[in-house]
Amino acid sequence: MSVSVLKSNGLPFQLRGLVARLYSTRKSEVSSSDPQKDTIRRYLYPPNIRNKASPTGTWRPDVARALQRAIPSVQAHETIERAWLLHQRHLRKKRDAELQRKFNCMRQAMQELEEIDSRLFREANKQEDPRARSLAEVEAMKKMSEPEKRAVESRVRGLFPRELRVPTDTPPKNGWPNEWRAFQRPLA
Amino acid sequence: MLASRYALAFARRSATKQSQSSGEPVKPQTKQSRAIRTRRPRISLQHPREWNRPLAFGVLPAFDEALKVIKEDSIALKDEVKALEGAIAREKETPQPDQHALRVLEDKLRILEVQSEINFPQVRWKCANGMADMSKAVDRHLLEQRWRKEGALDLLMERIHQMKVVPDVLPDIHPSLDLRVNFPRVKSNTGLQATVSKAVYEHVEQGVFLLPEQTVEPPRIYATVFHPEERLYTLLMIDPDFPDETNQTFQTYLHWLQPNIPLSSVSTSPVPNLNTHTTYIPPHPQRGTTYHRYTILLLPQHSRLSIHMVAKDKRAGFDVRAFMEQHGLDRNVGGGAHMWREVWSEGVPAVYKDILKTMEPKFGRMPKADRYGDFRGKKRYV
Repeated sequence: MSVSVLKSNGLPFQLRGLVARLYSTRKSEVSSSDPQKDTIRRYLYPPNIRNKASPTGTWRPDVARALQRAIPSVQAHETIERAWLLHQRHLRKKRDAELQRKFNCMRQAMQELEEIDSRLFREANKQEDPRARSLAEVEAMKKMSEPEKRAVESRVRGLFPRELRVPTDTPPKNGWPNEWRAFQRPLA
Repeated sequence: MLASRYALAFARRSATKQSQSSGEPVKPQTKQSRAIRTRRPRISLQHPREWNRPLAFGVLPAFDEALKVIKEDSIALKDEVKALEGAIAREKETPQPDQHALRVLEDKLRILEVQSEINFPQVRWKCANGMADMSKAVDRHLLEQRWRKEGALDLLMERIHQMKVVPDVLPDIHPSLDLRVNFPRVKSNTGLQATVSKAVYEHVEQGVFLLPEQTVEPPRIYATVFHPEERLYTLLMIDPDFPDETNQTFQTYLHWLQPNIPLSSVSTSPVPNLNTHTTYIPPHPQRGTTYHRYTILLLPQHSRLSIHMVAKDKRAGFDVRAFMEQHGLDRNVGGGAHMWREVWSEGVPAVYKDILKTMEPKFGRMPKADRYGDFRGKKRYV
């Protein structure tokens, strides 16, 4: 961390820029009689950036003090970081172990099924087409309107339904559709 | 400690605000910036300090929770360590122990031992402040990580490769120990002859220039080794830029050789008894040659070696690769390296006179034949 050669003024962040702007205008013409002239002057003689962080971030004398306030102790920060990563590692290991156990159980079950009944084993190994529609659904879809057909097709097994309403922070502008009713369709 | 400093800064700011509102004439803002302390506190083995909690209980609840989590994890790991030790003992007691399984268990034991203590802030603080206990696996691991990751090893490798020590002296080297070399500091020229000040040995950065006056006495070698058991190492000091007049090229000169040095993580430092085999001949870069690179190598041995002493006149033309091949020194297993550079100075003739007891050579270009020697002094326009 670099230590600034110039002492930073002890003002909080919000006021610093304001003070710099005030200092940049000439003392004699500080009043805004001609705002156009003031703008031109401000662009011709920009405020001194030697007591502010550079805009592209190459010189940041304010970082050290800000960090000192936010992180009172480097040791504590590192300890917390390590403990958090440790906790995440424990969770990850637990999840992986559980998944591994389930997979092994499944594999064991399939092995036993193969030994017991080969036909059922073959059935169990068949890949299902998630977009497949049952006969009842196909029959019902022939009489549906276009939006209804789209609603039925958007329901794919294993995926989030496309009609799912995205949760938002605030309620909708137009209120709740209290009169909405789902149309009849056969359960797949 | 830092929380109180924050509180102090806050109090001072509110004090200035009060003075302004009390109706006094507006003074320019008093600069109340306290310089951010950037220098490391003086804590080491010579000036030890006890670890204290960085923040008191309750100041930062996340920190207290973190300590709890770490403590629980450490207890669980220590139970695992105990179970593993039992398993290893049982495996060893069987009539025909499975060596591979035993090695796997021992590796796991070492990892668990380190993991059970590495997250403790007191352990990390001690290692970061020079108070590591090298008999503990955690401290050894932390110091090794620091040497490898925080720039020291990178600097060594950078210098060794940039100065082309690696292809010239050895094909490659992968250091496994931290080798530090200390030479006396340069004495000022204005010092009186009468005042004999004690030589202050200073750390030498890899690749810097030293004066031949500094390197007359053998250096103090500090080798931080990261294995608890004692292993044997061979010390070699090589100058790959020794001129070879007959072949108009350079040859390798052996300055120092000491085999069978026992080193472990708990051995004394600096390394003692280094000048008993092939004694140290100080560097003597010849006048007229460009800088010489002086390399110190610490190579691991498999077993105790018996190596003949190299005589003074046989030091030039030493073949490092053949030597390593002959004695089974494997550079891929690990080892240490260090190098510095030297150029002729007024101290070199003394080395030739007192220690080598030979004439000092002076290298340079052969004088050019004078093309116009016949015509000098004669009348040109006759």
